[in-house]
Amino acid sequence: MSSLLKLSQVEAYIQQFHILHDINFEVPKGEVTVLLGRNGAGKTTTLRTIMGLNPVSKGSIVFKDEEISNQKPHLIANKGIGYVPEDQGIFGDLTVGENLRVAMKREDQETTERLEWILDLFPDLKKFWKKPGGQLSGGQKQMLAISRAYVNENDMLLIDEPSKGLAPIVVEKVMETILQMKEKTTILLVEQNFLMASKIGDRFYIIDDGQTVHNGLMGELKQDKALMKKYLGVS
Amino acid sequence: MDLIASLTVNGLATGMLIFLLAAGLTLIFGLMSVLNFAHGGLFIWGAYAGVWIYYITNSFLLAIIVAIITGLVLGLITERLIIRPVYGNHIQQILITLGFMLVLQELIKVVFGPDQKAVHPPAWLEGSFQMGDVILIKYRLFIIAIGLLLFLTIYLILKKTRIGLIVRAGVMDREMVQTLGINIRFVFMAVFMVGAALAALSGVLHAPYSGVIYAEMGLEFSILAFIVVVIGGMGSFTGSLFAAILVGLAQAFMAYYVPALSLAVNMLIMTVVLIFRPQGLFKVKG
Amino acid sequence: MILKSMTKSNLIYLGVAVILLILPFILTGRSVQFMITQIFIFAIFAMSYDLLLGYTGIISFGHAMFFGIGAYTTAIFMDRFDASFGALLVAILVAVLFAAIVSFIVGVLTLRLKSHFYAMLTLAFAGLFLVAAEKWRSLTQGNDGFTFKVPEFLRDSTTIYIVSLVCLVLIFFGLRRMTQSPFGRVLVAIRENEERTISLGFKVLHYKVLVSVVSGIVASFAGVLYMLSLRFVNTSVFATDVTIDVLLMTIIGGVGTLVGPILGAALIELAHHWISGLANVHWIFERWIILYGTVYILVVIFFPLGIVGTIRSKLSNGSKQKIPSKKAG
Repeated sequence: MSSLLKLSQVEAYIQQFHILHDINFEVPKGEVTVLLGRNGAGKTTTLRTIMGLNPVSKGSIVFKDEEISNQKPHLIANKGIGYVPEDQGIFGDLTVGENLRVAMKREDQETTERLEWILDLFPDLKKFWKKPGGQLSGGQKQMLAISRAYVNENDMLLIDEPSKGLAPIVVEKVMETILQMKEKTTILLVEQNFLMASKIGDRFYIIDDGQTVHNGLMGELKQDKALMKKYLGVS
Repeated sequence: MDLIASLTVNGLATGMLIFLLAAGLTLIFGLMSVLNFAHGGLFIWGAYAGVWIYYITNSFLLAIIVAIITGLVLGLITERLIIRPVYGNHIQQILITLGFMLVLQELIKVVFGPDQKAVHPPAWLEGSFQMGDVILIKYRLFIIAIGLLLFLTIYLILKKTRIGLIVRAGVMDREMVQTLGINIRFVFMAVFMVGAALAALSGVLHAPYSGVIYAEMGLEFSILAFIVVVIGGMGSFTGSLFAAILVGLAQAFMAYYVPALSLAVNMLIMTVVLIFRPQGLFKVKG
Repeated sequence: MILKSMTKSNLIYLGVAVILLILPFILTGRSVQFMITQIFIFAIFAMSYDLLLGYTGIISFGHAMFFGIGAYTTAIFMDRFDASFGALLVAILVAVLFAAIVSFIVGVLTLRLKSHFYAMLTLAFAGLFLVAAEKWRSLTQGNDGFTFKVPEFLRDSTTIYIVSLVCLVLIFFGLRRMTQSPFGRVLVAIRENEERTISLGFKVLHYKVLVSVVSGIVASFAGVLYMLSLRFVNTSVFATDVTIDVLLMTIIGGVGTLVGPILGAALIELAHHWISGLANVHWIFERWIILYGTVYILVVIFFPLGIVGTIRSKLSNGSKQKIPSKKAG
């Protein structure tokens, strides 16, 4: 089991605030790895730091055997990482079609197939192809954001709290899709909704106060009620 | 009636010139959050470089081309040497671009001499048409035509091409564009250079319009461009056209009826906009 | 109580002030004395600017407007009311009030928006004042300007020197008190991270408007003193040159230090003096703005703390000195 992404002793600041103290984890290829933790623990910052949107002050981030810490975001993205931020990052004045077009790096067979595949899973996007992104519902925006990240042949997707603010039925849909995508790409997921994460995650890491404090297989976590309560507030 | 027509043409022409200056400013601001106080310096360098070539070769067309090239080159220099080192720090950016504006202005005096220069439109654009009672000055119509042409061209580029798509996306969320694998710095540079070229073009077109050029013109004219950017909505390309027309017309009519108040009336409009609708009057998509 | 609160730096400042006080009685050159007086006056002007830029992070491109308001009010009153002392007092009052009103209005309009708007608006407003001064000839005599008399006891240049120095010292300590007070600390917080300060519950707009009013008042007072020393006014008091000068003084001297602008004022005034002397030698010296502009640009990029700021941060190299910055976006 090779790890696609590995973070070792990563530290990061946002301005003068020391957010990440000691982050260590590995993301195996072909699995869904979940980062769990309370609000403000540093999960989003971790994703942003991997993506190069935040500088790394110490430690290393290795992706596909290459050190990517402190490289420019677009270079990191082009190495094969797709990013779905917490607020989805939809370009409000661009249409659904235009949003996807910005993301598509090539207009070849491969990309078109991937586009068709994801649009089949999210027919709403086809329906509202010409609608400005800003006018979509929360669920549709999430679908669009995920599609954008998927449409290029990315080796890994970073997805930040996809279930946030969505109705349960939409959450189901999103999760199903992520499960299906798992066959074609590796996923690093940040989630607060433990119920959901436990259904689709293979492996988990718990982040608390900017440190990775616990990890294991998802099955184990579900059994460990005490652990869940301590770090996730789930009882 | 012919007075109104004449003032309107005047206003539209001035508006177009301001638009060329403001369009670059607003796109640069929308995309990079940089308010380029040195934009007036690009304007005046375009004017002087173009006029100089015009004097030597007597070809207005060549003058326009040289002005555009001057704009592109100066834009490149400004973006790399002045904007990039302080990118991300608003205070330093604002301070440094104003400083550069002054240096550019003074360099004009060093290179071209401190006196004003008189400029006339080329022979093929001199004179006027007569339409009924109304006399339309050729050169002003020329400016309006070029302005509209450029607006349409850039509008189409923004809407229909990939680079235009990227620019529009970048204005909304430049971080996201980067995470999609696009080198936003390169886009910045391109937009800045195009904005600078437009400013320089505005300068060289303005020269025969006002009949005279002098170094301080850049700063003076750019104040109008700032007003337009505020009224039109910072970052709105289409907005800057409508706002420029509004400001140009206001300027033209005021200059005739109550000349002392011509700057004041535009400042008044800007002030009112800032109080009631600070995002701009014409905040249109793209 | 006073002696107890004297820190080492305070003693140094007072020492320097005393030396400066004695100076005119030792030196006899009138032009030197005049130049030093100008330094005092512009130091006051620059400190008022530092209050905005250095402490609160507000960029104004129209500070000349307040200087000019102080200048013209003084000049007009002295001219119309035969240079009586009472008229001078009224003039100062009017100038201060006028400056306060203008800075209040401009502040309320634009300080709640991003820094660019304030910079643009002040640039435009200053331009407006300049045009108004040029056109309203009946009041200002336009570009030509006019001379006027000042009250009897202020006619001696040494007296003006001392008055300016005393004002400088008083204003310096007054502003220092203000910047070191809780009010001043909020200003710095606003400069560092405005959103955070708002979220902490401070009515940031009130603070900004207040500091801009104080700044405008001090600036107009500098204009008043300028008139007393020069006794001639024309539209140049509203010119962009004045704003450029004060920008240079503050940035090069050192933003956010109050002492920096004083040093900057000295440097710029000395340089003006020196360079205009050299203008006969080579034409490049006439284009001093290019030299200064380039130095200014280099300072903004590489030494954003200015002379005093850089020295201070080198001395206390433990603490992480922050460049006045606002989060981009």
